[in-house]
Amino acid sequence: MEVKKMFKYIWKKELQGELYTWKSMLWLVITSLLFSFTSYLLLTDRELSLLDQTELMLLLSQIIIVVAFLIITIDASSIITAEFENETAETIFLAPLSIKDFLLGKFLASLTLWGLLFIVSFPYIIVASSGSHLTTAFIGYTALLGTLGIIGVVAFIFAISLLLRSTKNTLTTSLITLLVLATPALFSTTLKNNALSQLFSQIDPIDNIFSSLDNVLVDYQTSLLQNWRFILSLVMFCVLMLMFLVFATRKFNEQGVIKND
Amino acid sequence: MKKLTDIIVAENLSKSYGDRKAVDALTLHIQEGEIFGFLGPNGAGKTTTIRLLTGILKPDQGEVVIDQRLLSQQKSEVAQVIGVIPESRGFYNWMAATEYLSFFAHLYGVKEDILEERVEALLLQVGLLKRKHSTIGTFSLGMRQRLGLARALINNPKILLLDEPTLGLDPQGQEDIQQLLKKLNGEGVTIFLSSHLLNEVSNLCSRIGIINKGKLVAEGTIDELGKMADLQDKTLTQIFLYLTSNGGEKDV
Repeated sequence: MEVKKMFKYIWKKELQGELYTWKSMLWLVITSLLFSFTSYLLLTDRELSLLDQTELMLLLSQIIIVVAFLIITIDASSIITAEFENETAETIFLAPLSIKDFLLGKFLASLTLWGLLFIVSFPYIIVASSGSHLTTAFIGYTALLGTLGIIGVVAFIFAISLLLRSTKNTLTTSLITLLVLATPALFSTTLKNNALSQLFSQIDPIDNIFSSLDNVLVDYQTSLLQNWRFILSLVMFCVLMLMFLVFATRKFNEQGVIKND
Repeated sequence: MKKLTDIIVAENLSKSYGDRKAVDALTLHIQEGEIFGFLGPNGAGKTTTIRLLTGILKPDQGEVVIDQRLLSQQKSEVAQVIGVIPESRGFYNWMAATEYLSFFAHLYGVKEDILEERVEALLLQVGLLKRKHSTIGTFSLGMRQRLGLARALINNPKILLLDEPTLGLDPQGQEDIQQLLKKLNGEGVTIFLSSHLLNEVSNLCSRIGIINKGKLVAEGTIDELGKMADLQDKTLTQIFLYLTSNGGEKDV
């Protein structure tokens, strides 16, 4: 018998599960409706329709990122904990499957959902950036920054899932954390002058994504060198969250599949 | 520590949940090819013992050797030779029976060229072939039990560890599973059977272990247990009740 690359079977199972239970499909429909509603507002609202094309692209890219973060947070919060709550974890870990393969399979499933959400947003990106020289940068930076942010967020959610083993608690913790991370992006310019909020902004992944998109789409600074500070901050966020996941995995291994309550 | 014929060896195994000792210095030697019955009242430590023997739980102390492999060091190799029906009876309800078994066959590394054949053969063996494309969500409890047994057999295991395998089955279902277990044992599979059904255990098992409050209070054939209990009526029920009562514990 040959035991290798087990993660691909976990990945496949998750994708089948999402499709069979219409979970992913529902998320994609919700995303389409949100983007369509946003596009409708941008075209028909008296003030919004007066936005520059660059401002419009920035707004759309921010909406794509926020919607993706929200949907992936909700979806990833149950992807691991459901195995414990539905009592399938014991049978799955009785097989010669490592926790690494288990997590990697689940991770790829969450990244696939991000990929699908991005594909859904594609027509809206094309329309919003039509006639602009920034289409490629718009697509490239939304994909790059979004992927880095999603990797960090999913690693955090998986770590919390392994520690708490409850969908309700994981979802609550993840949503509160997401809200905290989104807060600096909502700060007014005056508030951003404060040293503490500046520091928070520099390490906050959502604020870094928004700042980088602003840099690219509004200030036309499209090269990676001009955005290295934001990208480095996001990479650091990913590394930190992956380290947290490694810590949670060790804890999980110490506690065993069945937690001693 | 280990005889050549012992396929499952647990030495001085202990596990506590907080202050409560679920398994207390348990030592077991299960011989290759036997059906070993594991009896005990509710909360005696049967499920914890199975979880310790399969590596799902880590013992506070003690060691488990399965098929000459130390569980704490070779968990993956041990997983390849055991089939388990655990206490947790969760299924992926959206999967069809064939998809479910194929998924586990992949996890156990069953080769693609024999995978479909193995899945069909197992579904036939447990009487679910006609429902192979039905989703598990539509299955009755008995059908789920059968599917669980098919999953436990997917890797063609040398050892089966079964936690109440006939729980919730009607008499015909129980009989079918018992016949299947006898057949598998005839083919050389060692079976560790935890059950509440005393007649099932007395029908199937060559040796029996009785656990009470985490301790193994008796081990042997029904005759040997009867002698220990020193009772006139030596049915397994009487022996079990005697040995799991306080008086029995003191005597043995």
